[in-house]
Amino acid sequence: MSIGGTLKGFGVTFSHMFKPVVTEEYPEQRKPPAPRYHGRHILNRWPDGLEKCIGCELCAWACPADAIFVEGADNTEDERFSPGERYAQTYQINYARCIFCGLCIEACPTRSLTMSNEYELARDNRRDLIFTKEMLLAPLLPGMERPPHDMRLGETEKDYYVGALENPGTSAGAEHYKGGQA
Amino acid sequence: MGIEEKVPTGVLLTTVEKLVNWSRKASFWPATFGLACCAIEMMATGAARYDLARFGMEVFRASPRQADLMIVAGRVSQKMAPVLRQIYDQMPEPRWVLSMGVCASSGGMFNNYAIVQGVDHIVPVDMYLPGCPPRPEMLIDAILRLHDKVMAEPLGDRRRRMIEARVERDGPPIVAPGAMPSSYRFDKAKRAEWTKAVAQGREEQLRIQKWMEERANLSGGAK
Amino acid sequence: MTDVVPKVDTVKLTIDGIEVEAPKGALVIRAAEQIGISIPRFCDHPLLAPAGACRQCLVDVEGQRKPVASCTQPVAEGMVVRTQMTSEVAKKAQEGIMEFLLINHPLDCPVCDKGGECPLQNQAMSNGQSESRFVEHKREYPKPLPISTQVLLDRERCVLCQRCTRFSDEIAGDKFIDLMERSSNEQIGVFRGNPESPEDDAPFNSYYSGNTIQICPVGALTSAQYRFRARPFDLVSTPNACEHCAAGCDQRADHRRGKVMRRLAGDDAAVNEEWNCDKGRFAFQYTQATDRLTKPLVRDRKTGELREASWPEALTVAAAGLAAAKDNGGVGVLTGGRLTVEDAFAYSKFARVALGTNDIDFRARPLSGEETEFLGSSVAGRVDVTYADIERAGAVVFVGLEPEEECPIIFLRARKTYLKRGLASYAVAPFVSRGFEKLGATVILTTPGAEAEVLGESEQLREALSADGAILFVGERLASVEGGLSTAARIAEETGAKLAWVPRRAGDRGAVEAGALPTLLPGGRPVYDPAARSEVAAAWQLDAGVLPSASGRDTDAIIAAAKAGQLGALLVGGVDPADLADPQAAEQALDAVGFVVSLELRLSVVAKRADVVLPIAPAVEKTGSYVNWEGRVRPFGTVLKTAAMSDARVLDALGRELGLELGVGDVAAARTQLAALAELPLPGTAEAGTALRGSVRVAVPTVAAGAAAAPTSGQAVLASWHHLLDNGSLQDGDGHLAGTARTPVARISKSTAADLGVADGDAVTVGTGRGAITLPALVTDMVDGVVWVPTNSPGSTLRRTLGVAEGALVEISTGGTKS
Repeated sequence: MSIGGTLKGFGVTFSHMFKPVVTEEYPEQRKPPAPRYHGRHILNRWPDGLEKCIGCELCAWACPADAIFVEGADNTEDERFSPGERYAQTYQINYARCIFCGLCIEACPTRSLTMSNEYELARDNRRDLIFTKEMLLAPLLPGMERPPHDMRLGETEKDYYVGALENPGTSAGAEHYKGGQA
Repeated sequence: MGIEEKVPTGVLLTTVEKLVNWSRKASFWPATFGLACCAIEMMATGAARYDLARFGMEVFRASPRQADLMIVAGRVSQKMAPVLRQIYDQMPEPRWVLSMGVCASSGGMFNNYAIVQGVDHIVPVDMYLPGCPPRPEMLIDAILRLHDKVMAEPLGDRRRRMIEARVERDGPPIVAPGAMPSSYRFDKAKRAEWTKAVAQGREEQLRIQKWMEERANLSGGAK
Repeated sequence: MTDVVPKVDTVKLTIDGIEVEAPKGALVIRAAEQIGISIPRFCDHPLLAPAGACRQCLVDVEGQRKPVASCTQPVAEGMVVRTQMTSEVAKKAQEGIMEFLLINHPLDCPVCDKGGECPLQNQAMSNGQSESRFVEHKREYPKPLPISTQVLLDRERCVLCQRCTRFSDEIAGDKFIDLMERSSNEQIGVFRGNPESPEDDAPFNSYYSGNTIQICPVGALTSAQYRFRARPFDLVSTPNACEHCAAGCDQRADHRRGKVMRRLAGDDAAVNEEWNCDKGRFAFQYTQATDRLTKPLVRDRKTGELREASWPEALTVAAAGLAAAKDNGGVGVLTGGRLTVEDAFAYSKFARVALGTNDIDFRARPLSGEETEFLGSSVAGRVDVTYADIERAGAVVFVGLEPEEECPIIFLRARKTYLKRGLASYAVAPFVSRGFEKLGATVILTTPGAEAEVLGESEQLREALSADGAILFVGERLASVEGGLSTAARIAEETGAKLAWVPRRAGDRGAVEAGALPTLLPGGRPVYDPAARSEVAAAWQLDAGVLPSASGRDTDAIIAAAKAGQLGALLVGGVDPADLADPQAAEQALDAVGFVVSLELRLSVVAKRADVVLPIAPAVEKTGSYVNWEGRVRPFGTVLKTAAMSDARVLDALGRELGLELGVGDVAAARTQLAALAELPLPGTAEAGTALRGSVRVAVPTVAAGAAAAPTSGQAVLASWHHLLDNGSLQDGDGHLAGTARTPVARISKSTAADLGVADGDAVTVGTGRGAITLPALVTDMVDGVVWVPTNSPGSTLRRTLGVAEGALVEISTGGTKS
């Protein structure tokens, strides 16, 4: 083995120090996953801040891992959380069971439940993996008001649901959000 | 087990403690415990692209006696449970267990007679990682969170009491060790933001908000 | 039950090419069911008369120009029917009807409580089209509309099948809801007097209103209590038996996460058919009351307060106290009427074997020695009247029983028979109650106390009871009428009528069979009969002479003895002193007696006075059986699995602490032991036992009929019974149910009202030396000199306030302050 060969070998290694890095550099740089990557859920809001979730439990029904627990309650005139009669009083997703299959968001009739691309979910106890409604609800964007409050976008819930796609709140079209303080 | 555990505890030894903890966390040697689909992602994490060598843990040991981190990757069947426990028992102290994927964490979607409903029924778990299976970044995140926890761990056999005493003296930390996502912890600005959000109890909302902003960049901020 | 099924005429027809033999007059839809062909339907219900309201069940019948509704079409010989399975015509007709029904339906399934168990949802999927051609505006109504505090109406979802109105009219007889308006405005509604003043409305306050929620085939009628609580696919259903009254309804409890969410009527053709009452359906939240006991309590020696204790400690203290009291005056056992037959048996055995006493009584209400004899002679071991007998009866007579208030399922059967073939009902009562009115009953207006006399002397009743299969129903209230039960037994014997004793509580009949009485051992064996004692001693593997031979004391005597300091201790089950004839005396007795052990669900009046409180399981958390008024065993399984223990298990542990193996802690073992002694077909026991085989039966009491008290001026005779929905502790915690209870009133006759100078709604005060009740007067067609008030309703807690039972003389005056 000649000294030249050794130098040649180290030379290859040395020259790579000046080449661009090809490996993933997580956590310093986080590459965004594919846009439709199934990450943690969001419970969306209407543009006036009311919750889209109506507590129908269809997500819980669709869930193959039985990871979702919902309990509905009655919206009253004084305390309104969502348009219509019903809202979710309790909403929990157990991330120790959730397999991120997305059947729940397919089942959701109001597009209340969608998925983000967030994936950093590890915790050191199982209790913290049960996300409550407060943790899942989308942040209040500018112009939104924290429920309970009256319906601001129409007289009845039909004004909300009919033409919902032009009125996306925080789900469809959320990528158009320009930033700002919640 | 190591000689460092035998040194007397005390305030003066915090520097020693830091050094020991740093050396421990910077050279985790995982025992291979690939049980199912999660193992594929674990292998991907260990391979070139994700380059686990950055954290001093590129060697997955085939023998428990040379390992201090057990990554339980996949659903644990009732039949595998005693084997798993035995391997755990064969690992020298100090040792940690990372439960990778929902099946290992809670049984996941296999809520049935054949699957152990969470590996914590068999061994103590230090970090639970959801996902089915979790992508390599998620595993790295879980490992880094475990690093964070290890760094905050006092030495000696009265660890719990010492942690309690510290909390009593200084108050609880705003962000518990291991609670901050790694991409936030490794970025100074984002770390400050997260700490502030935790104090306000809205860290989860912060995450969604950040994601929305990120997505706006992704689609070129259309409209 | 052993009747030969009479031969029915049948016809042969063809449905979808399959030949079917169906009884003459049967409907095509039922004939199709016989061969497993399900025709979609909404209005059709097997227990309601055909209506043909929804038109969903259209089928193609050969020879008919248009499709016909199979739920109204009787079968005919040689008929050829083609359903949606084989006929395009029927399929198209059904799809068209479905499209029509959905025109005004809001399709708000995600928020609708029926979603997931909705016949409309299911049949729209199976027999409807995927697209509607209707693009116009749907009809809109404000919703939900509360038509009572427990039923909510959503008119948008209604398909006008009229199941609810037909039920209310045909079954319950409470026509509070009906179709209103015409054409596309047609809707279900209740009477609204004046929109400005809601008190003019007549809400849907029927005792059976919950059934309409269950039979509604869409989400138009929903329960206020269950509103948005859960989804059917997330509920676990467990069959169980109702713990409220002696009717013995089959029920289904739906629960999730360790809590019962709702209860539904079960399907038992022999008992409750498919119905139940609102108390059974809605009153179940008492188990979640805040004062529910979960840990034993022991009275601390130093502080004198009750404190939480461990089971071993509490059992040791209780056993030591009972053992000391056994040699020092003895122990009285009051079990209460809420026990399963297994628990009652455990008490019975515990009292005889561990405490060596016959001082045990399940009755927590006014009682008499005559009744004690009657229970031995004419109730224990007798199963000769069933619900089906009501449908066959020539006449029924009610004495001391208001069936709608006190046993709602008897009322439903009697009413069904009344509507079907005009069953003649007679009643001996102070006035024509709503229940009697709906039965078309001939009521012999009687002053309380004179029932025995009337029953003994009325030719009309004698004639009625002589009819074929006539039944004489006597309620537990007859115990407080001197000679009442003796006369009933005599008259039944003389006329050949069947005699049925109907208690109010679910555990009463079982307690009689299990021997929780001072004079009866299990199986109706008299305590004083040596043969009976030796049979029981042999079954229990005891030495001769261990079983006490002296007849024990009944509830009243136990309380009197305890009050006088003659008893060493009391062992009390679920007894509320306020139910007893004299609550004050009972409380004084509890205070006077040296040692009290209370087996309780909640921190009750008794538990607060006890030295040791042992928590026990409510009906949903244990396995057991009730015996209903017929003597029919109603077994039920555990609904919620908790650590709570049944009375029997606690007594078994207590027995072990006293050094005895009673072997009653396990339900199966208790059943085997009981079945060896009594004629009860308990589940898991091969053969029912040897009741009264070697021993005599208690003789029928022969107390002469007493006369009613004679009121002087300013006095009246008190008449009373419990409302179905009242202050009962098992109805605690449900405001929706309480909202439909009947308003407490004081009923007086026209001339009594005139004497007092009061009109309807004016306050009337009923009082004794102890206290007074003021209620609005309601002038009723009834006997003069009698005032009727409910026994235990809000503002009318008769026993606690007045300290008297029915038939007593009370002061009556115009109410002072209360309007």
